[in-house]
Amino acid sequence: MTKDKIKQDLINLFPFVVVGILWEVIVQLGLSGIKTLPAPSDIFRSAWSLIWGSNVLFHHLLSSLYRITVGYLLAVTLGIAVGVLLSLNKTLHMIFSPVISLLISVPTLAWVPVLLVIMGLGDRTVIMTIFLGGFFAIAYNTMSGIEMVNQNQIHAAEIVGVKGLRLVFSVLIPGSLVSIIAGLRLGIGYSWRALVGGEMLAAMIQWGVGKMIYQARFFNDTAVMFVGLILIGISSTIIDQLLLRRLERWTIEKWGVVAEN
Amino acid sequence: MNSEPIVEIKGVSKTFTDSHNNVHALTNVDLEFWPSTFNVIIGPSGCGKSTLLYLVAGFETPTTGQVILNGEEVKEPGPDRGFVFQDYALFPWRTVLGNITFGLTNNGWKRKEAIERAREYIRLMNLEGFENAFPHTLSGGMKQRVGIARALAYDPLVLLMDEPFGALDAQTRKYMQQELVRIWQETKKTVLFITHSVIEAVYLADRIVVMTARPGQVKGIVDVDLPRPRNYTGDDYLEVREKVLSLLEEEVAKGIKDSLASDNTLFTD
Repeated sequence: MTKDKIKQDLINLFPFVVVGILWEVIVQLGLSGIKTLPAPSDIFRSAWSLIWGSNVLFHHLLSSLYRITVGYLLAVTLGIAVGVLLSLNKTLHMIFSPVISLLISVPTLAWVPVLLVIMGLGDRTVIMTIFLGGFFAIAYNTMSGIEMVNQNQIHAAEIVGVKGLRLVFSVLIPGSLVSIIAGLRLGIGYSWRALVGGEMLAAMIQWGVGKMIYQARFFNDTAVMFVGLILIGISSTIIDQLLLRRLERWTIEKWGVVAEN
Repeated sequence: MNSEPIVEIKGVSKTFTDSHNNVHALTNVDLEFWPSTFNVIIGPSGCGKSTLLYLVAGFETPTTGQVILNGEEVKEPGPDRGFVFQDYALFPWRTVLGNITFGLTNNGWKRKEAIERAREYIRLMNLEGFENAFPHTLSGGMKQRVGIARALAYDPLVLLMDEPFGALDAQTRKYMQQELVRIWQETKKTVLFITHSVIEAVYLADRIVVMTARPGQVKGIVDVDLPRPRNYTGDDYLEVREKVLSLLEEEVAKGIKDSLASDNTLFTD
């Protein structure tokens, strides 16, 4: 079992190794034609010194993780709450659901200038951007998920006298978890984009992976930029696998309400 | 049938309204059901027989008339009724045990006692060994046994069953009918059972209510005085079957003609 797992991990790593080697060879032989394109070895060296030399990488990473944790958790809590509310109340639904579905299609970055004016150039703006990025997708998916819960499952709860909040927690939320989890995944994707964009544009911010990439521009240090890019890729993958994928496995896959992939 | 009826349906009509038109599902239905009897309601597709059951359950409210349960008007769903759905409607996020305890723990039962009670019904329904299984791992027949256990565990006054075996294959269906008779004889619940199988109706019922095509009305009532366990053959059995069939046949024909005329689909109910 564990042997298979290691084997699978190696297989998963293989494409990255191949691309890395090809990339290294192309840059070293000067085939790319771009002088400022760093080779993987440059990126690695750069990462090494950011970690052990100047010690700043963790500070950048922790700042970003702090922001995304606060912003995303807010988005999850309020998104699910608003989604439930809109699915239960016809009037609220009529008024707000078109607004939400419209706002989903607004790229989160478009909010940043507005927020910079309203909320200042610091952390608050970035966290708010992250929140908005996640919120609409989660609220919308929760709402539409609850609307699709099997009516007879709701009846089965009603017949034993379950209604109100108890109905929400014992039937409506578990019954719409497939859609809610899809919203959570969509939401975290949007939140990451919002984080990086927000950090780049909020002038008072000094730390953060987005900031690190942006600042490297002033030194033409493309290796540092790539360190940032790779770090973001790895972090979001880890969060997805560790939290959302696991949540999926423990709930909707175990319950057989979604096909295992 | 000497005591008071436990369920009374008094002058009930039900009209569904959507943006396009009104659908008269039921008009002027008067019915009485007595305690501990097994009642089967049968009728052509779309005759509103499921609607009738949903009204008794309190999932829908009648447009006119009233439904009386144990002397009180039905206003909303409540645990004095158990409901078995055609699509099972089990909670996939709860185990077999969790599905059966749901009605208990939500009605003030302590967890431990609820589990004990649920285990009794697991035994009654021959579900031992599957306590911790999730519904998606069960066959259709087993799912419906969980559905019946869930509806019976909190000891409701009446058991409402909406074509509970409609989705099962013929063999399983026959087996479930036998099981249901056994359980009914043990628990002596009042059962209201919807079907459109005449064979099933005559096998199960003390009393068969035949409904007309839409808008649903009571076409006739056939009392079934056959000893149990019944089999599906024999002169007296066939005689009852003929009676029900002849009541039904006109209605089915009418139902088809109407549905062709109004361009409705046949199989919506």
